[in-house]
Amino acid sequence: MRELRRTGDSPEQPPATGQFASRRNLLLGTAAAGAALLATGCTSNETKDESDSGKQPAGAPGDKPGKKVTIGFAGPQADHGWLNAINEEGRRRAKAYEDVTLVSTEGSNDTAQQIGQIETLINKKVDVLVILPADGKALTGVGLKAMRAGIPVVNLDRVFNSPQAYRCWIGGDNYGMGLNAGRYIGERLKGKKNAKVVELAGMDSLELTQERTRGFDDALKNYPNIRKVARQAAEFTVESGQKKMAELLQAQPKFDALWNHDDDQGVGAERAIKQAGRDEFVMVGGAGSRHSMDVIKADNTVLKATVLYPPTMAASAIDLARALGQGKGVGGLAEQEIPASLTLYSAVVTKENVDQYLPTGFN
Amino acid sequence: MAAAPLLTMSGITKSFPGVRALDGVDLDVEAGEVHCLLGQNGAGKSTLIKVLAGAHQPDEGRISWEGREVRLGSPVAAMRLGIATIYQELDLVEHLSVTENVFLGHEVATRGFLRVRTARERAAALLRRLGHPEIDPRTLVGALSAAGQQIVSMARALSHEVRLIVMDEPSAALDPDEVGNLFRIVTDLTAQGVAVVYISHRLEEIRRIGDRVSVLKDGRVAARGLPARTTATREVVSLMTGREIAYVFPPRPTRPYGTPARTGDEATTDRRSGDSGSGTTGPEATGPGESGSGDAHSWDPWSKDPRPQDPYAKTTASQDSVPHDSGSQDHVSQDPNPRYRASQDRRSEDHRSQDHRSQDHGPEDHPSTALTPQDHDPRSGPTVPTPLTPPLLSLQSLTRKGEFAPLDLDVHPGEIVGLAGLVGSGRSEILETVAGARRPSAGRVLVDGKPLRPGSVPAAVRAGIGLAPEERKAQALLMLEPVSSNVSLSSLGRFSTGGWLDGRRERAAALAGTRDLSLSPADPDRPVRTLSGGNQQKVVLARWLLRECRVLLLDEPTRGVDVGARSELYALIRRLADEGLAVLLVSSEVPEVLGLADRVLVLREGVVVHRAPATELDEHRVLDLVMEGAPSC
Amino acid sequence: MLTAATDPGAGSLPPTKSPARRAVSRIDLRHLSLLAVLGALVVVGALTKPSEFLSTDNLQLILTQASVIGVVTVGVTFVIIGGGIDLSVGAIVALASVWATTVATQEYGLPGILFCALLVGLGCGLVNGLLVAYGPMVPFIATLAMLASARGLALQISDGRTQVVTVESVLDLGLPDAYVLGIPPLVLIFAAVSVLGWLVLGRTTFGRRTVAIGGNPEASRLAGIAVKRQRLLLYLLSGLCCGIAAFMLVVLTGSGQNTNGNLYELDAIAAAIIGGTLLSGGRGTITGSVLGVLVFTTITNLFALNNLQSDVQQIAKGAIIVAAVLVQKGRTSS
Repeated sequence: MRELRRTGDSPEQPPATGQFASRRNLLLGTAAAGAALLATGCTSNETKDESDSGKQPAGAPGDKPGKKVTIGFAGPQADHGWLNAINEEGRRRAKAYEDVTLVSTEGSNDTAQQIGQIETLINKKVDVLVILPADGKALTGVGLKAMRAGIPVVNLDRVFNSPQAYRCWIGGDNYGMGLNAGRYIGERLKGKKNAKVVELAGMDSLELTQERTRGFDDALKNYPNIRKVARQAAEFTVESGQKKMAELLQAQPKFDALWNHDDDQGVGAERAIKQAGRDEFVMVGGAGSRHSMDVIKADNTVLKATVLYPPTMAASAIDLARALGQGKGVGGLAEQEIPASLTLYSAVVTKENVDQYLPTGFN
Repeated sequence: MAAAPLLTMSGITKSFPGVRALDGVDLDVEAGEVHCLLGQNGAGKSTLIKVLAGAHQPDEGRISWEGREVRLGSPVAAMRLGIATIYQELDLVEHLSVTENVFLGHEVATRGFLRVRTARERAAALLRRLGHPEIDPRTLVGALSAAGQQIVSMARALSHEVRLIVMDEPSAALDPDEVGNLFRIVTDLTAQGVAVVYISHRLEEIRRIGDRVSVLKDGRVAARGLPARTTATREVVSLMTGREIAYVFPPRPTRPYGTPARTGDEATTDRRSGDSGSGTTGPEATGPGESGSGDAHSWDPWSKDPRPQDPYAKTTASQDSVPHDSGSQDHVSQDPNPRYRASQDRRSEDHRSQDHRSQDHGPEDHPSTALTPQDHDPRSGPTVPTPLTPPLLSLQSLTRKGEFAPLDLDVHPGEIVGLAGLVGSGRSEILETVAGARRPSAGRVLVDGKPLRPGSVPAAVRAGIGLAPEERKAQALLMLEPVSSNVSLSSLGRFSTGGWLDGRRERAAALAGTRDLSLSPADPDRPVRTLSGGNQQKVVLARWLLRECRVLLLDEPTRGVDVGARSELYALIRRLADEGLAVLLVSSEVPEVLGLADRVLVLREGVVVHRAPATELDEHRVLDLVMEGAPSC
Repeated sequence: MLTAATDPGAGSLPPTKSPARRAVSRIDLRHLSLLAVLGALVVVGALTKPSEFLSTDNLQLILTQASVIGVVTVGVTFVIIGGGIDLSVGAIVALASVWATTVATQEYGLPGILFCALLVGLGCGLVNGLLVAYGPMVPFIATLAMLASARGLALQISDGRTQVVTVESVLDLGLPDAYVLGIPPLVLIFAAVSVLGWLVLGRTTFGRRTVAIGGNPEASRLAGIAVKRQRLLLYLLSGLCCGIAAFMLVVLTGSGQNTNGNLYELDAIAAAIIGGTLLSGGRGTITGSVLGVLVFTTITNLFALNNLQSDVQQIAKGAIIVAAVLVQKGRTSS
């Protein structure tokens, strides 16, 4: 699927323009029509996918269509680029399988509402559940309930409290993300005396932010010449990214490297950097947005790398769910069964390898 | 009665910024009696109740309970003594059940756990005792009728060890048969030795259940402990409304409004009333016996309306009838010579009121000024001026359903028309409807013969109508703002070009206006809240004068105004009329209406029951008309 | 309390002192506490980070950071003085910024983006105003509903994605080259809106009517003021300010996002309140609100320069709100 998209899609139409072009109709003052037109906007990707739907995804574990599987998918509200990509990856992957029917809930950030939605899916007796909980701890109960009802749960990214609540967990590695960002920066600044590093973190109230910072700090410990001189937390939004970055730049007249946890807030951070007219440092992003990768490829700003937190995990979750539903294992491993947990690697995307990752970049 | 009264309040004084609400009030209540408290709105009843309930702390004065001095520092302290208050606006929580409301604040509980069943049983017992066993203690209070809510409120009072219950207008929201039940409850309570302080406007209720009556007026006790059943109604009412001090009312002009000399020309009258087809022969010639249409008021020599009889004719035609006419008709027919009667009555009233004063107030009174306003009236007789100008303000069958019956009235430039009536008689509602603040259900308001858009204050203001409302603080003033912006509020457009205010001109105009009305201090930057009541009223008047308003609607213009400052206001109002304004005046103070107005309309329950020139009325007559239409005794 | 101290004759004898001077001293004193706080912050900044804090760059930064929320606060101040509340400002900013940065809008360049932002702001303000004035709905509820639906619509339009602005003229406005005499254009807009707001509140019939309907709606009605229309206009004004702020945010961040303007409603209300605006209406000043915004922005800046984390910043913000309101309470009650 990845390869297929890479060769098939990107040359003729970069996703960004496709997304926007279809919304051309959304002119000033035509509010009422907005919703309807948006629907057309959303279909742009799907129509393309339909042409794919006959084929099997290239990288899929079981290539031959098998037993029909109904997968229930419950994700959070997609108010953020990465989460949006999660929903899209999952949906697209499911569509690519002839034998998979996806029952998707409306995304919700409200724990209670999401529990209700998942219970509905349980009652519908779907074969497998893929859940990205709004809050892992709060949704453990409903995960347990599904498992007890005999429905295997693939827990996506935000982990449940109890391993009994899922059959398989697949997710990113926040600690590893920080670790890899720190390593990359450490290697780049090797030999530089008294190197200063600045960190623009994500929302401080989230555990994942603390994890990333811990990984980053741990990695930097290996490089005694590097000192982290400042850290400010933004809120994963462009606006907060611009604001906090502007303050960091003001506070630190000169530094050598910056790690920004999130490419979405990075748009604001880049703006602040440009506004301050600064370019003496190396910037490393996080999560891996399409925009960041484009910038890295163009290599004309301080942004030189980004650490992945790949939304393709949703596609993989669908793969796992299908395999569970059909009682298969994972190809390429000796195991009979699907592993209980899969931690994804947070690769560092640089100018050198950006072409490889470009298709996975999210908007 | 017994040696030490249950409750004695002496010298209670309570001031609020700008107002002295209670001024040395004495009150004693015996166990087992129904002590009625009377007084107009603003007389200080509510403040007194709140002092008694522990909600307000008096500035001065002592309170004794069974001969022992006590401090009612909080509502809880009052409750502990056994004082319960049932407020007019019931203080119930609508979303809680009857039981929960009854025991609110002293829940039936053991170690913090509610004993729901016990509470419910006790509540049911209380409701039975109050004669309402049909109220389910589990219903939500919001679902009950007003009467039901009152019963709950009473049950709450009785849920304490109660010795004294204060009831603030308990019958106001009740149907007649429910009032009967209320009285039965009151009688039961007093039989058990509980004292009841009963507040009501309705004199006949006081007659039925009251033992003693105290009358409050302007924050003072006008009468203390009168026998409720034998004191004459007229006496009680005149205590409520009468003046202790006579004010100097300005002289009325003797010339017709808007003309240099009085002519009394019939032709003029006819010319103006010709189109109405009225057969009135003219004011002087019209007497009660001659009233062409048989209308009781056509004798009114001041009926200068284009259609002198039409108002009532219409009223009687469109409505069933005006039920209160008979009283005035009786009176009129008894007394064919109004002029004579007026002067006679005035004299006799003087004797009577002087008697009251010596009884009730003793040396505190002002004997030297014990004169009624009319005595200061320099006019030798009712030389009635005839308005020659067309009316400035006309009300044509102006009606608001449930508030006042169709009303026709013309007010001419230079004329002050008074509306006399008790609270709830529809007087304020009439003014607010004329001012566009209420939308009439029928009829219209004309200024200079041009009808106004109904229910629009801006339209009324543009036409030159200005209302000085009853509640100055709540309805007229921006208390935090300085005098200047309060004065300019209605005329902002005059000081602005393209929306931009010229602050200097505005301030100068405000200063000129306040100087003109001798506001003291004449400081346009002073916040209005620091001014006295009289000066606040002047600010409101200055606002309308600045707006060049031509019709002034005054609702209780001297409410909360210091006694000393009233004469000044009266002179001011008269001066404004002399300058050509048409003034419609509402007051519950009968002498004020009689002293200030040229013509008086007496209102009762939304119906005009009498119209006459002020000179032909006297306080007692008006009071009789204002009250239940009681025939004059 | 302060007025009484400086003017002992005020209570006893009427105006022996020039009334004009009294008015002036009253206005100054009202903002004294805020100026003192601001002064204290500057001292702390100068002591802890002398070179970073006391620089032109940093002054530009503080003012720029203050400008977007500042413009919103001016609008909110009007609404609060007029006796209302507007909880939807943040959501309107988000919606306007997202709508103004769709590809379709961007085709029309800077004028298109600006026009669209203002139009969306005014449109939302109009809905708020109609609901509150003619609904009639409680302002809290009406604007809460607008908050929810405007955020929802913003999410729907943007599809949760960040919309990057490609219009060079818009992007350039946020860069140092566009500074006029060293002043960023955004700060100029903020200054213009503030001065205009100050003039409108103090020197126009509109401002006077706002104070009147907030201070005593019934008295205003009986005085012949068209209270409903004034309410409508106030929400329109607030919406317009949100539209301006949205455009400024687009310039500042070079993008439109549905998460923009997060919690602006609370920040703006807080700034207005510490600036001396009565939450119940009838009293407040634009100067106070602007000072309030500057105090908050300076605190954030100071904390960031000293590398203090957001938890400490939030605690300090809360403490300042409480302190400022307590100080004002103490003064009005005396």
